[in-house]
Amino acid sequence: MRCSFVFGLILSVYKEATVLKVLKVPAHTIAVFILPALLIYICIVFIPIGVSFYTGTLDWNGIGESKFIGFDNFHRLLFNDPFFWPSVKRTLLYAVASMVEIPICLLMAVLLNRYVRKANTLVSIYFTPVILSVVIIGQLWKTIYNPESMGGMLNGILVSLGLDSWTHNWLTEPKIAMYSIYLVSLWQYFGYHLLIQFTGVQNIPSEIYEAAKIDGADGFKADRYITFPMIVPIFKISIVLAFIGSLQQFDLVMVMTGGGPAHATDVISTHMYNSSFMSQQYGYGSAIASFLVVLCLAFTLVINYVMNKVERKYT
Amino acid sequence: MTKKPFKTVGVVLASSLLTLSLAACGSNNNNAAPSGSPAASGSASPNKGEKVTLTFQNIYPDETSPSAKAMHQLVAQYESEHPNVKIELDTLNTDQQKLKLKTQAASKEIPDITMVNPAAQMKPFVDAKLFAPLNDVLDKNGLKDTYQGGLLDNYSFDGNVYALPDGNNIEVVFYNKELFAQAGIDKIPTTFDEFLADVKALKAKGITPLAIGEKDTWTGSFLFMNILLRTNGGPGFLKDVVAGTKTFNDPAFTTAVAKFEELVKAGAFPDGATSIDANAGSNIFKTGKAAMFILGTWETGAIDSSSVAGKVGAFQFPTVDGKGDLNDFMLAPGTGFALSANSKHLDVAKDFLNFYTLNLPKVQFDLKNAVGQPQKVDGDLKAAGYSDLAIEVMDLFSKVKGGDLSFDNTMNPAVSQVHLNALQNLFVQSVDPAAVAKEHQTAFEANK
Repeated sequence: MRCSFVFGLILSVYKEATVLKVLKVPAHTIAVFILPALLIYICIVFIPIGVSFYTGTLDWNGIGESKFIGFDNFHRLLFNDPFFWPSVKRTLLYAVASMVEIPICLLMAVLLNRYVRKANTLVSIYFTPVILSVVIIGQLWKTIYNPESMGGMLNGILVSLGLDSWTHNWLTEPKIAMYSIYLVSLWQYFGYHLLIQFTGVQNIPSEIYEAAKIDGADGFKADRYITFPMIVPIFKISIVLAFIGSLQQFDLVMVMTGGGPAHATDVISTHMYNSSFMSQQYGYGSAIASFLVVLCLAFTLVINYVMNKVERKYT
Repeated sequence: MTKKPFKTVGVVLASSLLTLSLAACGSNNNNAAPSGSPAASGSASPNKGEKVTLTFQNIYPDETSPSAKAMHQLVAQYESEHPNVKIELDTLNTDQQKLKLKTQAASKEIPDITMVNPAAQMKPFVDAKLFAPLNDVLDKNGLKDTYQGGLLDNYSFDGNVYALPDGNNIEVVFYNKELFAQAGIDKIPTTFDEFLADVKALKAKGITPLAIGEKDTWTGSFLFMNILLRTNGGPGFLKDVVAGTKTFNDPAFTTAVAKFEELVKAGAFPDGATSIDANAGSNIFKTGKAAMFILGTWETGAIDSSSVAGKVGAFQFPTVDGKGDLNDFMLAPGTGFALSANSKHLDVAKDFLNFYTLNLPKVQFDLKNAVGQPQKVDGDLKAAGYSDLAIEVMDLFSKVKGGDLSFDNTMNPAVSQVHLNALQNLFVQSVDPAAVAKEHQTAFEANK
């Protein structure tokens, strides 16, 4: 989410400020330079977040009169909403799944870089799903997942392989519907992260590998001691992007199942949408939004902390 | 570079950026009426020659549909008769329009002319005093008498009418006569047991008995309400719940849930129904892949222009366990035209709405869309070339004795959502009807 970028911005501003102090730039000059960007950010990020926190304390249907009810919405959210924590769980599980995908992308990138002669073309092909609209992807996979009676491709293949017992209503069985959606999203963003990792791998100077070869480090040994340590910053970018992206996951779920059947595929953002606009509990929806902001902030801090440690260890 | 010019440049740059960014922040306030009438004039009473622009937010995106054709025709006619008036169309599909209007309402900036659903769904807007009362529009040119009796009650609050419906439909069972014959069904079912037996007979022949698009949860609810209308022995169950004389734990409700689950268990619905959206659901029927389709009569025209045209008939939802009256229907008073109370040109908007609704019945009749009109339609359907199905449906209209509005038109949105999700759940797993009832009752009490 945006707030994490802002957080990063503040951190980097702070770092820059200490650098400028060394250069003996007076504090008010720094302040003047920072001010415009800061004002824009306050207007388009902090004020809306503040407003949504405030709205979260209202009993409001989004149209008429509103009533201040303190933290009742938050209390209900955390303790009395049977659909909230499952939706948080699904969101986090999705975040974990999309982060687990990145090492696989890295491995793939290393292999492509080493064994495939014109890897660029291949990487571009893997990238195509990313440029397609999520609505198209969703509709496409919906027809793939369809029941056999409606010409679903996946079930059709299973049946023709004689695996009838493996067929499922992939999007309507509450136990597996969510995983079906995860899979689509992982498929879509595979090429995205592969591209990032591949570029990272290519940017490692070949002299280092040559030197290592002389010292007897070749193949996977070279990866272990050169590629992996040097790719950590790029790896971190992918991890953060994957994580933030998965917390924001909304469109794909909306297109494929709308959060159904009966909340079985609700994630935090679809729950927020349904509460605000379908149930017309705008205040309650804002409380969910506020929770999402806090969650993003907390996890961005954790990821930053962990990745900085890893970075320091290797560089 | 010396230090000093660097500093001066910096300050200049920073201050110009500052102005820019402040301007960016402030522009929202200067430009606060993106949807209202763009700067035509400041005065509230327009004289003849003054340029007036009205925004007409509507839900007729399908250019080929009779409603859209009627709208374009009437708007063009009004504009040519009133050269100083320009009507800008803001055309959206139903769900988008609902969302946009809610967002606009939150900032009290609704379009001059917009559309809302009746009863419970329009109440928040009326409570927020966003709509202008239309009593004077109805009195002008005898418009009020053109509407069917009692219909406008669904759009009235405290004696004022706030919206004029674009339709008035009932829910019927459409059936494909050819597929019925294939399954050896020779008479239409009048009891739920017969209905269930027919479902099983169709299923045995490999025909999907009932088309539905339950990704859009209102479809299942609309069907379910028919059963409730029967098990309750007549209309008014939800009203009684609201009044506190009944609860959802009432046997009428639990029996209805149990009956609905019987349908699901008998395989009445297509596989994966909860991932099929409403349009795709109705296409299952219109392409001849399902034998029945339970929905509002607004589908009549679309069925007549589909590949199953001529093979389709319609009947009343059967009685359940001997309860209920065949002539009670689920009623669906259409979306209504409403006017913004804060419109700069309210009197022009009122004049336009009066013109529009006065002429709508005639235009719709000519466009072969007389079925499900809110106003009395004159003319011989048969002579005008209407289909047998249309005439059959019109005949069902004449039998209407009473009925209920859909769940989300009766209950508040929060309870409705619980209901819609609970019903969608029945499609994918079997639940004890008592538990479903309890879930409803809990939600109702929490959101009174």
